[in-house]
Amino acid sequence: MKNRKNMLWRLCCAGVIGLSILCFTPLVIPAGQYQPLLLGLPRSLWAGMLIAFAILALAVAGTFVHPGMNDVNANQDKQP
Amino acid sequence: MSIWFFVLGAVYLCSLVVATVKARRQNRSSNDFMMAGKNLGFLLGCLTVAATLFSTFTLLGMPDFFRRHGIGAWIFLAVSDAALVFCIIWFGAHLRRYVSGRDFRGIAGLMTDAYGTRWAGYLYLVGIFLFLIPYVAVQIRGISIFMNAVIPGFLPVWGWASLIVGIMLTYSELGGLKAIIYADAIQGLILLTVTVVIACGFVAHFGGVAEMFESVRASNAALLSTPGPGGLFTAQFLVASFIAIVLVSITQPQMTIRLVIMRDLKSLHRMALLLGLFAMIIILATIPIGMYGAVRYADLPTSDFLARVLATDQVPIIAAAVAIGLIAAAISTADSQLFALGNEVRSMLVGDEQRNMRHTKIAIICFALGSLTVAILSGDQLVLLARVSFAGTAIMGPFIIAAILAPQPPGTEIIIATGLGLLIFLCSLFQIVPDTVFSIRLDLLIFLSLFIFAFLSTSYRRAPGVASAG
Repeated sequence: MKNRKNMLWRLCCAGVIGLSILCFTPLVIPAGQYQPLLLGLPRSLWAGMLIAFAILALAVAGTFVHPGMNDVNANQDKQP
Repeated sequence: MSIWFFVLGAVYLCSLVVATVKARRQNRSSNDFMMAGKNLGFLLGCLTVAATLFSTFTLLGMPDFFRRHGIGAWIFLAVSDAALVFCIIWFGAHLRRYVSGRDFRGIAGLMTDAYGTRWAGYLYLVGIFLFLIPYVAVQIRGISIFMNAVIPGFLPVWGWASLIVGIMLTYSELGGLKAIIYADAIQGLILLTVTVVIACGFVAHFGGVAEMFESVRASNAALLSTPGPGGLFTAQFLVASFIAIVLVSITQPQMTIRLVIMRDLKSLHRMALLLGLFAMIIILATIPIGMYGAVRYADLPTSDFLARVLATDQVPIIAAAVAIGLIAAAISTADSQLFALGNEVRSMLVGDEQRNMRHTKIAIICFALGSLTVAILSGDQLVLLARVSFAGTAIMGPFIIAAILAPQPPGTEIIIATGLGLLIFLCSLFQIVPDTVFSIRLDLLIFLSLFIFAFLSTSYRRAPGVASAG
């Protein structure tokens, strides 16, 4: 259980790093292009929003599988 | 607006007085005064961190950034802030584990312990002094130019700046960190409400989000893509800014102290997630303000643009709430940083506690006066000034991470390398050395070099037989 949580936490970390790198590629910030639009939003904006919300979703997931939260029922810090 | 301004201003000042009195009653020791009893719940924690993080830089700087440089500003701040939330969850746990069982007074003291030399603490103090003072000055400058433009003739820029510093010093010196946290909570709520109301008004003005961006396209299509009309948002600039902003939670003392004084790890996690939500709402709300400015006030200077969109074009009560919200934002961010700077000085002092507290309070006053001077003398490019501050403190990121995470005490070579990094970055700001090397931004190069160097150094010291020798 503990190992599984550790692995999931690492996956969350890897996901955040991967998304952050992706954000600075031409896939998200192509020079001078604002199409395709999504709901009227220019490309880099909607793609950047998707990335930001995905990172936040990984942060939410990360709090559930954080190694420091192992067996936390009380309000005690545990070693991460 | 004037009547509403004075009515809401009186309400705000009364709430500050109540917060200060309440905090003073709860402060029983110097540790309560400086660390707020180390028992912060997630809601109050989120509001104080948000107020510390989102300041005039956000409400004044970001709309202007969207107006001048376009939608790349979202990548610049929102994506970085989302990653910062994750960084708080990751680093916060390590930091709390490291300080548990120690008498934590500040990062400077912690660096002294970790590296086994006071030079590490001094280096941290010099770094934050050099790069936080400009950031504090940004807050004071931002609100001063705004107030001067909104109520012309009432006070000069330096008069507004002095008034703000005076209010800030009074309640933080009287009530300590707890008073600051209560004031932050008040400010956070004002900021969130006012920004969202104004943003909704501007979206309604255009007739919808799609129509808003269509108007911007007709006005200046370059604003809808990177690198923007001025070519600022290059991939390198965004990457360097991303690193600088994410490392705020590690390197800036007003943030680290709040990670340590959270009640427990669960509260820290909840605080971080709520902060993420807060950040997304605030930054989303600054987009319509900037886009409205891009369509209607593209050629105005910053202060005039802000005065029009946040005051002249608003109904009086909203304009007054904006002004009070901005004063509150400037005060809460600046006092958190000044107080944290004082705390760091305290963490390096030894001996009689009463004497240390006296010295700490004097240091806070000196920092405030230094910031006031820089605020009066600095320019109006708020976000870029703030970014320099983030980048400067971020250079100390690898130095701090190595101290907290390395199983063995890190070596003095990391202190020397970090000192050199700070020196080179400073030289580039004064154009003594070029700000790009082989087409790579110098700040980015310094970050990456220091991370690699710290990793190699700690790995080497971890190798069998080296730790005892080193």
